[in-house]
Amino acid sequence: MDPRIEELLPFYVLDALTEEEKELVESYLAEHPEARSQLQDLQPGASALPYTVSAVEPPRQVKESLMRRVTADAQARQRSSTRVPAEPVRGKFRFADIFRVLSLGAATIAILWAFALNGQVARLQGQVTSLNDQVTAQSQSLDDLIRNLPQTEQSDIISVSLKSTETQPRALGQLIANPNDRSAVLLISGLPPLEPGQTYQVWLIGNAPVSAGLLTVDENGQSVLIITSEEAIGSFNSVGISIEPEGGSMEPTGEIVVLSEL
Amino acid sequence: MAQIKNASDAFVRTTSERALSDESDAALMTQVARGDSAALEALYNRYAARVLGISLKIIGDQALAEDVLQETFWRVWQSAATFQPQLGPLTSWLFRIARNLAIDAYRRRNVRPQVLMGANGSDPILDATPDPDADVAEQAQLILQSQRVRKALDSLSAVQRQVIEMAYFYGMTRQEIAEATGEALGTIHTRARLALQKLRGELEREEFEG
Repeated sequence: MDPRIEELLPFYVLDALTEEEKELVESYLAEHPEARSQLQDLQPGASALPYTVSAVEPPRQVKESLMRRVTADAQARQRSSTRVPAEPVRGKFRFADIFRVLSLGAATIAILWAFALNGQVARLQGQVTSLNDQVTAQSQSLDDLIRNLPQTEQSDIISVSLKSTETQPRALGQLIANPNDRSAVLLISGLPPLEPGQTYQVWLIGNAPVSAGLLTVDENGQSVLIITSEEAIGSFNSVGISIEPEGGSMEPTGEIVVLSEL
Repeated sequence: MAQIKNASDAFVRTTSERALSDESDAALMTQVARGDSAALEALYNRYAARVLGISLKIIGDQALAEDVLQETFWRVWQSAATFQPQLGPLTSWLFRIARNLAIDAYRRRNVRPQVLMGANGSDPILDATPDPDADVAEQAQLILQSQRVRKALDSLSAVQRQVIEMAYFYGMTRQEIAEATGEALGTIHTRARLALQKLRGELEREEFEG
């Protein structure tokens, strides 16, 4: 076995290597599966270390706060999975309707959007029909949807085109939200799938970055994320996406791939 | 009539909570991935005290450690679909999320560790207060696991223990540990390897199952 890898393995199982060292070990293990027996020799000791710490009973309000956040998110997910009525919506367009429509998928978004705005924004309907054709023709690609997503004229809804950074120039995104609401929908395409152990993390940035969720893209680099925030979306200045270790970080630590002002 | 309904609801709720507390970690994670908040709460009841213990050990600040606790379970809620049970137990995944978040928080805030040390330099025993939502048998099992691991850890020399704790709990690299201890890098490598191998042997002797 490569002596350098042998030196690194204990720190690999302790999760205390630099990113470069970690990549070195993982590529060696991929090429030399027999070296995994050494890992199995070291792993149990490292896995037991959390149990050396005394359990500390958390205050009840931590759980209450967590469950409030989780319940709000669960409700938002439920709303998003509810079927939108076939009849066109009359009167003031509600954010919840947009929320449901977008979550059904890129192609469905275009079609339902056209239904929802029928009779109100005839000009937009033409664009959406055209957009739907494009989406169908291109295997329901989000790329074109995001490029051509119509900007709503409703005063309480914002639709922000997100800008990629130099590191991922192909990335495209659209954030749709009511600034007074605490939920938003994020559409992303053009982000490459990440290596195991990494994740995309979305940030809403006011005075400081606040995590808005982890993003997993499909093989085409596309994703739809429903964001639930503790603060109104309008209270933030910017939105960004960074690459973080699996499970995410408390603040951005990795490469920023998308960053835009709201 | 309202009283009967309330009593009935309470019974159904209690029965449901008891059923969840009997579920395996993997089964609960499957339910969390489907958006079942009660399953997440069951996991919280099972592991929150351990996660807070890890966070507090790393950060040394109660308020920040509680933030990390909440954020850890929020990540579990959001990322449940990415959990792969074939790669290892939930606890490995959960504790790694907590540990990484705590190290991030520690580095960001640069909070001085305030870990209370026992008279013999060991960590304080803080797990005295029972959680009313926690399952007594589960909590007893966790305490038993801790006792076995601590006993195994006690078999290591002080310098061996120091190296693996600096690496695991404080995320220090090999070079940082060598610098902090004034030892050669080679010595640090040897100590870490021997410590983990010895720990494994002791854990097998103690019949520890993480």
